[in-house]
Amino acid sequence: MNPTSVPPPDLSALLARIALRERAAFEPLYRATCAHLLGVAYRVLNDRDRAEDVLQEAFMNVWHNAAGYRPDVAAPMTWLINIVRNKAIDALRSGKTERASTVALDDEAMAVAGDPALEPQRLLDDGLTKARIDGCMAALNASQRQALALAYYRGMVHTDIALALNAPVGTAKAWVRRGLDKLKDCLGAAGVGA
Amino acid sequence: MNYLQPERLDRLAREYVLGTLTGGARRRFERVLAASPAASLAVGAWQQRFSVLAASVPPMQPREATWQQLERRLFPAASKDMPKAGGFGAWLAGLLSARSLGGALAGVLLCLAVLRLQPGLVVPQPPSESLPQSYVGLLSDTEGRPAVLASSLRHGRQLSVKLLQPVAVPAGRVAQLWALPRDGSAPFPVGVVPDHGSGVVALADSSETLFFNVTRLAVSLEAAPAQAGAAPSAPFVLIGPCVKLW
Repeated sequence: MNPTSVPPPDLSALLARIALRERAAFEPLYRATCAHLLGVAYRVLNDRDRAEDVLQEAFMNVWHNAAGYRPDVAAPMTWLINIVRNKAIDALRSGKTERASTVALDDEAMAVAGDPALEPQRLLDDGLTKARIDGCMAALNASQRQALALAYYRGMVHTDIALALNAPVGTAKAWVRRGLDKLKDCLGAAGVGA
Repeated sequence: MNYLQPERLDRLAREYVLGTLTGGARRRFERVLAASPAASLAVGAWQQRFSVLAASVPPMQPREATWQQLERRLFPAASKDMPKAGGFGAWLAGLLSARSLGGALAGVLLCLAVLRLQPGLVVPQPPSESLPQSYVGLLSDTEGRPAVLASSLRHGRQLSVKLLQPVAVPAGRVAQLWALPRDGSAPFPVGVVPDHGSGVVALADSSETLFFNVTRLAVSLEAAPAQAGAAPSAPFVLIGPCVKLW
């Protein structure tokens, strides 16, 4: 969507400069990462306005907390995604009751569900293929994969997953657990996060 | 429960990062996380694993207005044409949003500044955020407006300084920070603070040694940075309490 021919900036270096309150480093970090991060927030929230609010809050956090970034624990993008995803999940859960009582038909959710390319299951498959662990992850059955996809991309908790997949909560939990076990195994075998 | 038993830690870390760990269990784990390097590493490893899943999310270009609002909120000095009524509101909004960030700076700003301005307004910190043992000072100008926030880890050797509003420093002068001991003995120089933005002042010794008996910090406008043993030669333009944060 936003292809660029210039080399990507060194995000670690930008974060280090931001930790020293160097304002000039902030916009390049935002520009380099905002589209991907908004994509992550939007997957969870299904609402562009709320996703942009979350993005803004997340970058407020980045400016004030860049000194807390530890390069030995996570890659810069991983750290940023985590901030955005946590904020999106918080927003999702805090707004749930309110929306459930005020919005009868969630047309945004329908719009996303209507585009098969954007469905969580498809995103999961794409991610696994990119990481070259799709073969290994094929050991999971469809429900286990779907449960993992709904939890990760939609920020669903076990009860939501159980409802979405029409299964008992205990079963949904077991599916997610199995998906996570397998993800760890497959990535370990591929040399990621072993 | 022993959270740090490796298999249990790994299970909690992955459910925490995924978001399926909720409610009280999530908050309890966040407290463990704040204190345990092993928990941080377990969480980091799962964040890294999940980044494989994030890689397939299609990007979405935010509106330009999102960046502009962000810039206005973070760097209000850049938008001086903001209405006066918005000045305090924006400052307070910045304060309140900073609250969620943890960190000594935000926490103390909240308790000193908010309680000072609105004694009835007590906003509890989220239970998961524990502040490190620190010395913190909040200096106000002669009209009582908070102007400088200074903080240092208890055993640290540097002082972080944040200007909450610019300080007017005439050309040829520096804003010299002084520590005022509890027993009324002579102030001693700490360092020079910037006139706006933020900065870090290297300390001559650990915070604990320097500030253990200090109850107030102050700033005077000196002709040159004060040497050890020097006394203020100009009146204090900013002054405020220095407290132990533990």
